Amino acid sequence: MMRKFKWFLLIGIIMLILFFSLIAIAAAEMTAEEIINKRDDNEYITSFKAEAEMIIVSGGRRITKAMLILSDKKNALVEFTNPQDRGTKFLKREDNLWMFFPDAEEIIKISGHMLKQGMMGSDFSYQDIMESDKLTDLYNFEIIREDEIEGRICYVLEGIAKEGVKVSYYRRISWVDKERFVGLKEELYAQSGRILKETRINEIKEIEGRWIPVDSAMENKLRKNTYTEFKITEVDFNPEISEGTFALQSLR
Amino acid sequence: MITKKYLNITILFIFFFLLGVIPISAKIDMGGELAASLINIVDNEGQISTYLQAGLDLELFLPSFDNTQAKFEMYFFNNYISGGFDYLIKKLYLKHKFEKLHLTVGRQPISWSFGSMLNPFDFSLGAVVMEEETGVKYQDAIEGHVPLNWNSSVSVVAAFPENSQNIKWGLRGRTVIEGYDLTLNYIQEPEMEIIGTIIPASKRIGFTGKGDLGPLGIYGTVGYYFKDNNNADLAYLIGGDYSHFFEAGNKVYLQLEYLSMKKGNLSSILGPFFSGNITNNSDEDVGLLLGLANYEIDEFSQISLITVSSLNDKSMIIMPGYRSQLSNNLSFDLDTAVCFGKDSTLFGPGLSEGIPKKPKAIIEAGFTYTF
Repeated sequence: MMRKFKWFLLIGIIMLILFFSLIAIAAAEMTAEEIINKRDDNEYITSFKAEAEMIIVSGGRRITKAMLILSDKKNALVEFTNPQDRGTKFLKREDNLWMFFPDAEEIIKISGHMLKQGMMGSDFSYQDIMESDKLTDLYNFEIIREDEIEGRICYVLEGIAKEGVKVSYYRRISWVDKERFVGLKEELYAQSGRILKETRINEIKEIEGRWIPVDSAMENKLRKNTYTEFKITEVDFNPEISEGTFALQSLR
Repeated sequence: MITKKYLNITILFIFFFLLGVIPISAKIDMGGELAASLINIVDNEGQISTYLQAGLDLELFLPSFDNTQAKFEMYFFNNYISGGFDYLIKKLYLKHKFEKLHLTVGRQPISWSFGSMLNPFDFSLGAVVMEEETGVKYQDAIEGHVPLNWNSSVSVVAAFPENSQNIKWGLRGRTVIEGYDLTLNYIQEPEMEIIGTIIPASKRIGFTGKGDLGPLGIYGTVGYYFKDNNNADLAYLIGGDYSHFFEAGNKVYLQLEYLSMKKGNLSSILGPFFSGNITNNSDEDVGLLLGLANYEIDEFSQISLITVSSLNDKSMIIMPGYRSQLSNNLSFDLDTAVCFGKDSTLFGPGLSEGIPKKPKAIIEAGFTYTF
């Protein structure tokens, strides 16, 4: 009887091990698209309202710019609130960018090539701040390896821009936390293969059930001793956005 | 005119009334900038005169309520020519956004810029590139703005110029088609008296467009100046801009434009400082080539070079500049302007008959503190 029980116990343990192994294998076999989708589930927000700070560091100098951001799936409205740029506003409607100059209260369409430029002197381009597309809509991803960042195991994925899609960076390598599915590091490359920028996440917060990077730093790899820190100080998901918010007249 | 006379008094009254009714808890803020610079003027004989210029721009930030917004901004400055202090009310207006009409009443900036360095069909003429817009953009006016959809609107402006008894009218339509920002501007100016000179009434109508052509930004304007004298004119401007990243990550921004119009109509665009040699052959067609190159040395410093040249008389003005952001609130600017050209040319520093001499060069260095 005792011998029979031991056999059942052994079989039970083996089955449990097999069961958990299968789960582990299934988890390990997540596709790159599934990982990025899970990351998008965390980080991609249909609409939000945020207060943020951009700290531009170069050599020994630090300049802080404060802003309010309102964004939906395709559009974004940014208003600067720090003394030097107070009242300067940007409206992005898909690939078009308008700027409001507060002194003369004029609205001017900014040329398309400026979208890739650093926003107000920072290492973040206008597209970096205001791009609102899902990554899986823009890139084809594949898992290239696993890595560890500050004690956290990460999937390392390589994304190559989809054909015919306009993106700021042709190739991006993303380190995605295996447990929380949030990007911890990203390298952004030009089509020539040259690294352009590197983003590192300094702080992640769980807000309304999502892991959101609230403090990140972008380093321009083409320049020495320079980076821009982007801090979200307040965020509100799915705020009420009145009709006509993303319109030229709302800049005035 | 009675309307003009009482416009500012009414706005001032409403403004103080608003201050009274806004609850104390409402956030009222004040900001602005303090600037001080040394201006060195080099005349044609090589003599240098130095002046100190200081200015304080103060703006009151009032919370908007019930779709109503009030603005008040004043600029105090020392007049280095007269030696005394002066002020300019830049903004003193009320704006109310009705459902289908945005109405702005009072002293307000009216600018119809579309991204070019010169705009011959702006509501108030004055070259942004030469900073001649400082005063002329601010007008006592009533503006009605009717949004038609997110990118289309019609604006009507009735302004009351200081140097005229009559109303200056403006009508502007704006829309976006296929990514191109398009405007149609009409301006009707009354007869004005400026420093004893009667400037006849005039009208101008112009069409502007701005968009992208591949990696280039392109823009242009074409229009007509209706004038009773010989200065009736078909004027046009074409231009483009481009930016490029160097291997080291530094960026250069380039802008180039060409303006063609009658010499007589240029004075209002270039401003009084550059109009000295315009009076000769005022019905002559002039072609101006403008260039701007801006190079970012690092995140906080940049050098720029602006050139304005007359293709007709080969005269030119070159304006190199340097700007550095020293801290969150403090910046340093160095601006220079050097004139080249023979006597009686558009930008030449030489003397023309009956016209005061123009400087050979101006060098201005100063600090600006924002708060």
